Amino acid sequence: MLRILTIAILALATLRAAEPLKIAYSDWPGWTAWEVAIQKGWIKEVGVDAEFIWMEYVPSMEAFQAGKVDAVTVTNGDQLVMASAGKDSRGILVHDYSNGNDMVIGRPGIASIKDLKGKKVAVEVGFVDHLLLLKALAANGMQESDVTLVNVPTNDMPQTLASGDVAAVCAWYPLSGQALTLVPGSKPLFSSKEAPGLIYDLTVVDPTSLAKRAADWQKLVALWPRIVAFIDDPKTHDEAVKIMAARVNVKPELYAQALPGTKLLDLAGMQKAFTPTARLDSILGSSQAADAFNLANKVYEAKLDPAKFLDGSFIQALK
Amino acid sequence: MGWLGVGRPVPPAPAAALWLGAFLLPLAAWSVLSYVPWLWHPQVLIADSGGSALSQDMRVERAVFAEAVAQARADGVAPPRGERVNPVFLPAPHAVAQALWTGFTTPPLRRGDPWLHESLLHSISVIAWGFLISAVIGVPLGILCGAIPTLSRLVEPFVDFIRYMPAPAFGALCVAVLGINDAPKVAIIVVGTLFQMVLVIANTTRQLDRALLEAAQTLGASDRRLLTRVVVPGILPNLYTDLRVLLGWAWTYLIVAELIGASSGISWYINQQGKYRAYENVFAGIIIIGLIGLITDQVLGWLGRSLFPWSGQQPSRPSRLAFAIVTFPLRLPWILVRRARSLPRASA
Repeated sequence: MLRILTIAILALATLRAAEPLKIAYSDWPGWTAWEVAIQKGWIKEVGVDAEFIWMEYVPSMEAFQAGKVDAVTVTNGDQLVMASAGKDSRGILVHDYSNGNDMVIGRPGIASIKDLKGKKVAVEVGFVDHLLLLKALAANGMQESDVTLVNVPTNDMPQTLASGDVAAVCAWYPLSGQALTLVPGSKPLFSSKEAPGLIYDLTVVDPTSLAKRAADWQKLVALWPRIVAFIDDPKTHDEAVKIMAARVNVKPELYAQALPGTKLLDLAGMQKAFTPTARLDSILGSSQAADAFNLANKVYEAKLDPAKFLDGSFIQALK
Repeated sequence: MGWLGVGRPVPPAPAAALWLGAFLLPLAAWSVLSYVPWLWHPQVLIADSGGSALSQDMRVERAVFAEAVAQARADGVAPPRGERVNPVFLPAPHAVAQALWTGFTTPPLRRGDPWLHESLLHSISVIAWGFLISAVIGVPLGILCGAIPTLSRLVEPFVDFIRYMPAPAFGALCVAVLGINDAPKVAIIVVGTLFQMVLVIANTTRQLDRALLEAAQTLGASDRRLLTRVVVPGILPNLYTDLRVLLGWAWTYLIVAELIGASSGISWYINQQGKYRAYENVFAGIIIIGLIGLITDQVLGWLGRSLFPWSGQQPSRPSRLAFAIVTFPLRLPWILVRRARSLPRASA
């Protein structure tokens, strides 16, 4: 009772005073990196009253859609899915892109994507690695109809590859690594390293909060290059891994394996990603590809204009 | 062995042994599976890859390992070495025991995060609130539905319809209405238990011996007195057992409740450890929940035998004594009042 009362009173009290910015973040290396700024006290240091709330990924999107938090960390594709469900948002900060963590993995004897012609490929239809597979096929002059898709939940990919019922599977980390370990002789045929920018990971903000508290959001965005520098610097890398591992509650050694397949973006990288192009080297190009994919796979029905949901001014204002 | 057979009562000594066996047998099975390598152990953990394509610390199927050894021999290189192991999903008992111990003794990795016992208390408070709210609504409603057929016709069809709805699917709605802290989690527990509770209790109420009701009616009892003096006392022991069973349901909903809104509690711990394949911690978490459930249930069962001596199961003498001691603080004011009344007034 006391606990709930205090929570209720605290909640009311904060409603009355200037509310802290509420940011829901979840378990993906690029987003967990916020933890560095939280634990090093940088957020207080720049004078922003912000509360970071740790959630599961899907519940964090639900909380954002319900207006219970001001910002949430999502992929650029899922930002579009939220928009199609009526929740407007602005991507103001890009954390990273997947850099090899997503893979198409072939069974022993399958040497390249071309070898998959006429064979079965397991993929979770409509999810990001389906997009990766299409990219892999296109890069080899093939199309979706050249293979037979088998719809399998991504969590089951390692066992699916081991069963021998399919020639290849599509999965992301840590499942991709587990599939490779489980089936000796299997190997990655294509990975997100060869299609960097297929998936960008963003912090997206409610437009009203962004307009009202623009100065505070600018200060938070300005922290990101400092976080990346802290993680990338060999001198502080171990401390950064320790901080992030503590957030997800696993041993640092185990967590360190998750980091390489994610390319954290520094200031130059972020500014480049926010410079509009029609290719995957910009968030806009990547979101346009995601929009076309979502339409083709009936994730939603009406075409969206991805440019509307991106606001690069906060990044471009950084020196 | 005169107690082995249909309907034969078990004397106390073998009963205690059977109770112990109920836990030791599964533990023994688990130990045998974990420590006797030729029983299951379908995989090989590579200790040294030799000249093969396998790498160290890889877990491979036995057939694959045998193939790699044969291949290495044919190629004239050092064969890989390794030991037979179970899949990572089934940790050995000692690893789980160790995880249990370190779980409670290591400080949280992250500054400001709760210790394991604090997470547990948090989970227990969510369960307690959810179940309390359910009971405050569900018990009276269930009794009324069971006692008054008209009300039963009006309420039960809809309750029956709604109880099949998956409580977890209301997660997003609960967050939208109640925010991201504990309130939506409590709400999921309420949604998961309330509707079952109404139906189960209504049914229990209907089981009451009609002769009791008819006798009281013959003696001219009003509806209100029928409810308070016949129905409620008559079903109380069964009602109590129902609530004990329903409390178990509340725990099954905890695992989804704690994943909506801000992550917290023991089930977030289990979920997170599973995601990173630390299965000894997952098992430790599961065992903790099982233990809490078992202890709560045993305590409630014992309390029930002492509270409702007319239900047929006589409490033993030491258990009656323990009950008297435990409830002494509650009875103390009552005893004092009675004593004050019975004392002869001091004459001036």
